[in-house]
Amino acid sequence: MEIKVKQEGNIAVLKLAGRLDLASGTTLKQNMKSLFDKDVTMVHLNLAEVEFVNSSGLGTLVSIMKEIRLMKGRLTMSNLASYVQEIFDITQLSHIFEIYATEEEALSSFQAVASN
Amino acid sequence: MGFEQTYPSTLEAADLMLEDLGRFLAANDVMPRNAHLMTLMVSEAFTNAYLHGNQKDPDKRIIVQVRVNESEITADIIDQGKGGLKRIMSKKPAPLLAESGRGIDFIRHFSSSATFSEHEDGGMHVAIVLSRDAVSKTIHD
Repeated sequence: MEIKVKQEGNIAVLKLAGRLDLASGTTLKQNMKSLFDKDVTMVHLNLAEVEFVNSSGLGTLVSIMKEIRLMKGRLTMSNLASYVQEIFDITQLSHIFEIYATEEEALSSFQAVASN
Repeated sequence: MGFEQTYPSTLEAADLMLEDLGRFLAANDVMPRNAHLMTLMVSEAFTNAYLHGNQKDPDKRIIVQVRVNESEITADIIDQGKGGLKRIMSKKPAPLLAESGRGIDFIRHFSSSATFSEHEDGGMHVAIVLSRDAVSKTIHD
C-alpha cells in the first residue's frame, strides 16, 4: 500500500492506494502513530485508490477510529469505491464512520464543526 | 480451469497469492464483482491459515486451489496447523466495533456455500463456492 500524507491546516490528509489488509494495516498504524506523536488528531483518509479492504484492514480502521476518539479528535473518510463501501455497509460500520463522497466535503465538514 | 499454488506462511506470500489469484481470475473472464468477492474470501481464509492455523510459522505451508467453470468459482485453502474447527463452528458474528474476527463472517456472508473441515493431515480446510450469479445480503440479516 502507498500512503501519501499532506497537511490541510490542522487536518492530516492521508491518501491511500492499493490493498488495505493485514500487512498494509500495520504500515497505516505506524503512519498514524507518527501523526499522534505530533498531536495531530484531526485526520482524513482519502480511499479513492484503495481497491480492496479485507477484515484485517477494516479492523485497522476501527482501531484508528477508537484511538482518535479517545484523544477527542476526528476521523473522516471519502471516495470509497463501491466494493469498499459495501464492506462498510454490510458490517454496519458505515453508520459509525464519518464517510463523505469527496475529500472536499469532508474537509469542509471540519471547518463547519470548527466554526460552530 | 484450475489454479493450485503452495505458499509459505508469510505476509509477503499473502501479497503474492493475491497477485497470482487476480491474474488467474482475469485470465478466466471472471466478472469484476465475482473476482473481488472471491479475492476477499480467499484472502480471509489465507489470513486465518497464516494467523490461527500455521501461527505465522514460515516453514508451514498454505495450499490454495481455485477452479472456475460456467456456473461457479470454487476455492480450497488448506493449512498445516492443528485444526481449530471447534473455534470456527462456535463463532458468533463479530461485535460492531471489534478490531478482528470478521474474516469467517465475510466468508459465510459472501459465499454461496462455505465448508470448514479438518484436513486428513490435521490442518484446517476451507472450501468456498461462489455462484457466478451470486447476490449478497447484510451480515446482520
